[in-house]
Amino acid sequence: MPIKDILLDWRLHLSMLVITVIAELVGVIAVPIGIGSILLLPLLYAFVMGLLINPNVISGARALIRDRQVNAASPMIVIAIMPFIAKFGTIIGPSMDKIVAAGPALILQELGNLGTIVLAFPIAVLVLGMGREAIGACFSVAREPNIAIIADKYGLKSQEGAGVMGVYVIGTLFGTFIFAILASILATTGAFSVEALAMACGIGSGSMMAACSGALVHAVPEMEEQILALAGASNVLTYATGLYLCVFVALPVTEKLYDLLGRKEPAKAGA
Amino acid sequence: MSDTHTQDLDLSEEAKFGLGAHAAALAVVCVIALVGNTVATENTVPEGLVGLIVLWIMCMIGMLLTKFVPFKLPSVAWISLVGILATMPWTPGSDWVLDKVSHVNFLTLATPCLAYAGVAIARREIEIAKTSGWKIAVVGVLVMTGTYVGSAIVAQAFL
Repeated sequence: MPIKDILLDWRLHLSMLVITVIAELVGVIAVPIGIGSILLLPLLYAFVMGLLINPNVISGARALIRDRQVNAASPMIVIAIMPFIAKFGTIIGPSMDKIVAAGPALILQELGNLGTIVLAFPIAVLVLGMGREAIGACFSVAREPNIAIIADKYGLKSQEGAGVMGVYVIGTLFGTFIFAILASILATTGAFSVEALAMACGIGSGSMMAACSGALVHAVPEMEEQILALAGASNVLTYATGLYLCVFVALPVTEKLYDLLGRKEPAKAGA
Repeated sequence: MSDTHTQDLDLSEEAKFGLGAHAAALAVVCVIALVGNTVATENTVPEGLVGLIVLWIMCMIGMLLTKFVPFKLPSVAWISLVGILATMPWTPGSDWVLDKVSHVNFLTLATPCLAYAGVAIARREIEIAKTSGWKIAVVGVLVMTGTYVGSAIVAQAFL
């Protein structure tokens, strides 16, 4: 679509402005649950309100937002995250000494991405009886770089492709909520150090990191600077090193595990 | 990582925009962020405006680097690098930069992005979620939980 159409789509941008104002006026709400508390952040309301005016989700929304606006919104996501990323950089810079001190942990925690294989893969194959789509679904946290790996190796029309796309969509729809909830629960239970939880916030997309570190900051406000610096540094490393970990470790390991645990006969199509 | 080899899935949205269009689209986002920042925090409009202009300049430098540096890194990686270098303690003027951007709340900056993300969910993605069904939803939650807890455990072990 022509760039001018995206820029001049005032219906879209004005809707976003209204949503942002409403979300910020509501502010942070803490919902106490048994083992901790779940923090609801303005960015989560903004996402939900975005969904509510999305005609693909609520057909009645077509009066306000049409396919034109939906298409225009997609390239705006990348643009809209940029000032946030720049601000994150300015939080990392002054804390460089703390990041260097946490260096080994920061680099090695990328290995923790393999946790998905430990937790999700056996359940997908042994409990849910999934076929080769389990490889695509479970080898990574399924963000754009990971989709590229699967697309490159198997193609997106393959079963592995269906798996990675499925988890990608779930992540896109619910990822911010899941990470915000995980971070706030684990922070309030005290099972992990706040630094470790902050580093783990960097594993996903920019918006996941925003939700996750935002929830952490609200749970432990006195450590705001450290949390943001570590989460941001970890996110940069995810881009720098995470891809190689996926290609050379995570995907081969998942394939080996599938040979071990998965169906021996050709899997039924489209399972 | 915007450079993918997929035809049926368009992940390379950045490629569609030229630098001028990026600058303008970024300005639109900054205006929304400025209103959000004014509503959400005690910062005044002039304070927020100056802070956002500084951030806007960082984004533009990052995009120039993305475009002209021969090895490919996603623009967000360059932008965060610009932000880091501009605020390192030994960088001249870092105190000034830090003071200006301190008037912009980091979490408020993510709010418009997520609003766009909600509107951008395409029919295709809803279809995938429906056809993949509940199993992929369960697996998706486990994948994210496993990755997060796994990273936290490793980080904890080496801290």
